[in-house]
Amino acid sequence: MRLIRELEKLQEERGYLDPASLRELASRLRTPLYRLEGLASFYPHFRTWPVPAVTISVCRDMACHLAGGDGVADALEVEMAGRDDVRVEETSCLGCCELAPAARVNGRASRIGGIGDFGREALDGSLSVERPAPRAWRCDPYGTGSRYRVLSEALAEESADSARDRIVKVLEGAGLRGMGGAGFPTGLKWKLVRREETVPKYVVCNADESEPGTFKDRVIMEDLPHLLVEGMALGGFVVGADRGIIYLRHEYAEARMALDAELRTARAAGLLGRRVLGSDFSFDIEIFVSPGGYILGEETALLEALEDRRGEPRNKPPFPGQVGLHGRPTLVNNVETLALVPGILKHGSEWWRSLGKGEHAGLKFIAVSGHVERPGVYEIEMGTTVRELIEEAGGVSGGRALKAFAPGGASSNFLPADRADVPMDFATLEEAGSMLGSGALVVVAEDTPMLPLAANVVRFFRNESCGKCVPCRVGTEKASEMLESTMATGAPLDWETIEKLQLLLCETSICGLGYVALNPLLSVAEHWPHEVPGSPGSRHDE
Amino acid sequence: MIGVTIDGRRIDVPGGTTIWEAARRLGVDIPVLCHDPRLEPVGVCRICLVDIGEKKLTAACVRRAEDEMEVRTSTPTLDACRRGLVELLLSDYPCDAADRFKTAPDELLGLARELGVAWPGNGAGSTAGARTADVGGILAGGGRPVDDSSKVISVDHQACILCDRCIRACDDIQVNEVIGRTGKGYASRIAFDLDVPMGESTCVACGECEKVCPTGALSLRDLAAGADGWERV
Repeated sequence: MRLIRELEKLQEERGYLDPASLRELASRLRTPLYRLEGLASFYPHFRTWPVPAVTISVCRDMACHLAGGDGVADALEVEMAGRDDVRVEETSCLGCCELAPAARVNGRASRIGGIGDFGREALDGSLSVERPAPRAWRCDPYGTGSRYRVLSEALAEESADSARDRIVKVLEGAGLRGMGGAGFPTGLKWKLVRREETVPKYVVCNADESEPGTFKDRVIMEDLPHLLVEGMALGGFVVGADRGIIYLRHEYAEARMALDAELRTARAAGLLGRRVLGSDFSFDIEIFVSPGGYILGEETALLEALEDRRGEPRNKPPFPGQVGLHGRPTLVNNVETLALVPGILKHGSEWWRSLGKGEHAGLKFIAVSGHVERPGVYEIEMGTTVRELIEEAGGVSGGRALKAFAPGGASSNFLPADRADVPMDFATLEEAGSMLGSGALVVVAEDTPMLPLAANVVRFFRNESCGKCVPCRVGTEKASEMLESTMATGAPLDWETIEKLQLLLCETSICGLGYVALNPLLSVAEHWPHEVPGSPGSRHDE
Repeated sequence: MIGVTIDGRRIDVPGGTTIWEAARRLGVDIPVLCHDPRLEPVGVCRICLVDIGEKKLTAACVRRAEDEMEVRTSTPTLDACRRGLVELLLSDYPCDAADRFKTAPDELLGLARELGVAWPGNGAGSTAGARTADVGGILAGGGRPVDDSSKVISVDHQACILCDRCIRACDDIQVNEVIGRTGKGYASRIAFDLDVPMGESTCVACGECEKVCPTGALSLRDLAAGADGWERV
């Protein structure tokens, strides 16, 4: 954490990471120059060139593509032509898909209305930032009452070990699963890390959601920071860790402020720090702001970043639960997962299970984006159908018909409108041919061309590949080139080669980025073969 | 000791031994490009993937053998993957790579020959002046520079497969700590110090990086054709 923080400090002081300062830093820290080069060139937050007065970073990904964002960066560039105090650049998904098409101007995210107005306001600093008002959420067991009671009651129990047993049992009974995408059973994960004998142990909150369409954790951190802090403390209590780290994506400035304030409040109340509430349990939390990149949401890449290396996923096993941060057992959980824990422990597993629809258990935060009237974050009952959620979000925008949807972010397969009655849950979405993924429903209206959308997603994975393993580094590039060429010329895709690339990405990549990179394309070819020249379905019709 | 079965043959090895190492003791050479027994394995080229009956294939160079593990080093899927990975790498590989002077044979081209991957390089096909060519339907890449700033070693970034061997050799065998990776994704390259030309870096020209490089990326300069003692691959 030290090197990356030093680089951040240097960038803050000097505006960018210039070679002379990097040399000075390397010699002061006695670290090889190549190490600083590796970090400065890998993480998008770091700049190795002088930064002009205004930087406009225009999102190029899924929700912004659907909102007509293609070409916005070029148009802004034309608008700003001749000004050397402005830099217009394209960037990966900013995590504010409800503002699509969106851009960040000197670090603040805004909707791009008209190019002219946006450009003018970006320059004079008058851009308004829309923020949804904080809402009451059903998963919060405290409402306006006093908080952290679950933690204080657990710490007050006579036997800490039986309190730990009970917590794990309730989480297992509730059937809570990881809400970051992988869906690993939370109670089991806590039990496994608790069982490890190596100390110290760590609790890491993965607050680096960066998949196009995904912004639910941002809202949870802004509105319910106390639940995240309490969830982490409970995790630390159960597994026997005394240190927690929130790995936060750097675009989430408001979430950071909310968390900072909450951490101060909790420390002042004796809920964090040495001997929490007078018990034998000591635990504190710090925030580590990610220097950027989607791949850092992969838990071992995230740990590499915390160890001051390039965020390149590790070969697994071993898994972080056994060999995590600094080689120690590490409980890594997603924001939503941790924030749901206090409510479940407060009211019990039966209560939690009863919140879902029918046989589905609990609540789920879903970010809704794309072609809907009211994009945003919705707290739904698990088992709510995609169609119901789209209705809750005001319906398909402009009164259009639904064509397609991706229920779990950019990595989830697109499904056609006739499957919109699928209940949203892990198993049901898998059965329907997609996944719950990162909790991000992306809605696609009729008349939307699917090939450019699929190509947009493949390009995202190409852009965000870390470059460590051959199949992902080279395969995503080659697939992306093939798609660009087909879109430019209309020539059919060489489908045999697409299938070969899919085999390599899926079977030989080190991490999930490679596994999923072509899935959206293949799902588009399956359901809309006429739109994918060269795909098997398109050939049958010839 | 733990007992593992590799392609139907059993061997007992000490705990902590990798599958790749256990196979080697059995006389089974699992092909690999990023590994060298003198270096800590990194598992990035994926050529040494094996099937141990798990959901995912696993890299033999990094994965520790476990008691009663059943390892298959060749299946239709594994063979297709290995071949496909070599095709991916060759689609970016300079067609004249084998003309360079190396202290050891080019392992990527050796593997390609072994697997029977057709490659239009080195006179085998027309490349129309381009440095690279399409391989097995995979589009040719290009545009990466050659760095001839060092008096001793030539760096052809187009021939680099990012195997990380030079980086580890520079750090762990010679403790010179000069080479790393710069950039991200497909744009990643090896780099010297703060990405300066090799000849302007703190490189002491020890030659270790060239020796461990499995491709034509790091080769020897200033050797007249036919110089004694150097194999021309």
